[in-house]
Amino acid sequence: MTDSPYWNPRHETMPRDRLEALQLRKLRSRVGWATQRVPWHAERLRAAGVTPDTLRSLDDLRRIPFMTRDEWMAGQDENPPFGHVLAAPADVAIRYHTTSGTTGRTPLRVLDSMKDWEFIAEAWCYGFWGFGVRPRDIVFFAFSYGTFVGFWGAHYACEKIGCLVLPGGNMTTEQRVAMILDMGATVVCSTPTYALRMAQEARTMGVDLVSGPVKRLILSGEPAGSIPATKALIERQWGAKAGDTAGMTELGTIMMFESENQPGGTHIIEDHYIEEVVDPATDQPVGYGEMGERVVTSFGRGFIPVLRYRTRDLVVKVPASTSDCGRTWDLYEGGIRGRVDDMKLVRGTNVYPRAIEGIMREYPEVEEFQVHLYTAEGIRDEIEVLVELSDGADVEAMTRAMAKKLADAHEGLRIDVRTVTHQTLPRFELKAKRLVDDRTLIGGQGEKRTQA
Amino acid sequence: MTRTNAFGDELTGPQEQLAAAYDLLERVLRDHSDELAPFEQRNALKALAALWHVMDGLDLDPAQVYDLGA
Repeated sequence: MTDSPYWNPRHETMPRDRLEALQLRKLRSRVGWATQRVPWHAERLRAAGVTPDTLRSLDDLRRIPFMTRDEWMAGQDENPPFGHVLAAPADVAIRYHTTSGTTGRTPLRVLDSMKDWEFIAEAWCYGFWGFGVRPRDIVFFAFSYGTFVGFWGAHYACEKIGCLVLPGGNMTTEQRVAMILDMGATVVCSTPTYALRMAQEARTMGVDLVSGPVKRLILSGEPAGSIPATKALIERQWGAKAGDTAGMTELGTIMMFESENQPGGTHIIEDHYIEEVVDPATDQPVGYGEMGERVVTSFGRGFIPVLRYRTRDLVVKVPASTSDCGRTWDLYEGGIRGRVDDMKLVRGTNVYPRAIEGIMREYPEVEEFQVHLYTAEGIRDEIEVLVELSDGADVEAMTRAMAKKLADAHEGLRIDVRTVTHQTLPRFELKAKRLVDDRTLIGGQGEKRTQA
Repeated sequence: MTRTNAFGDELTGPQEQLAAAYDLLERVLRDHSDELAPFEQRNALKALAALWHVMDGLDLDPAQVYDLGA
């Protein structure tokens, strides 16, 4: 059994009708727990007429009100430091973590008990095991180990699996590359951006990663792990397979992972979560193959019950049969496609950072880039891509080709591509922020700025 | 009599033994926590927290254990 390709063979290959029965059972239990232990949830559920007994099918899930980050944050402000979401006394907790704070807002604060922390590792175990990581592996974490939960759970998952874990906190990129090689790491965990950064550093050091020991990269923290051009570039530069995962601090861990057969998407961990996809404008469910917003209900961390949480992540759900790995869990084709609020309207055209990245990563000469939006002449929206190219690149031909591809992908929208000198653009270890919106007006028609 | 899970599936012998180990740990911690030395209590809690996920994965629907400290 230990040679199983699945971490939990029963649940990962369970027929859909049984899986749904399992989810319904867990949903009732979680609603009961939240009602009993969290007055804030109890009040909302009571107002909606939801009790465990009234949940007769998974369709009844939709009777539960949505939970939003704004509500969670407001609770933290009213009742610091943790707000009104805790279901257990804070003194039972063994871990304190926060969101990454990349949006510039106050981070969400979360607590976990021993059992929750085991869950957090458990969810990552599905992902690591499912991508072929085994006890014999040596796993390097290019991660700073701060309060951001990030790869913490992944670290503990690898200990649980029995791997040799190399914690790469408080190190320069050069030191990290050196340690990966010195210790013969077979697996590297990082954000997609940082995987490229390490590859860049290796080239500077004169090191050939392709002939090195690394066989697998486990990526997380950014949608880029499922952008085909970015993923292909990472795999080429490392000579290793790259597997995407995605998680969130609100859940403490990942809720999806790419299986070793690389089916072009990430399996949803459906024995621990119910993932709905809704139209962000109408809140109505969308079908397989349609893009919408992820709404998650978690059966994992009991310390903070999460019921129908609006994630703002854009996804496209496809049936389990899309993958031939034998799992019965549905997938998100292309992983996380972006954020509901990522989309920018530039002179009437929708611009998605993910689409721009997909084009820029087709050029291995691109060392770093940034999408810059600004207001020209006090009224007109403009968009340009600032790019750092490696030495020897034919700058003029390349930027012209890039601009044409970008325009073709955006209904002819003019997007200037401008080269900048080396090391001008910021580098990222965690979530990359490559879109800078300096517009003083949005939409070019006098639409007032509503967000930073 | 063979133990069954929430689906009515029978557990295998080794699975049943793991479930019994969880039950035993849970009972000791519930009934005798105060009598245990720190090393006994905290290591037992850690084991309980890990085995909780075996119970969950086997669909034995373990109750929450925050009141025990896990």
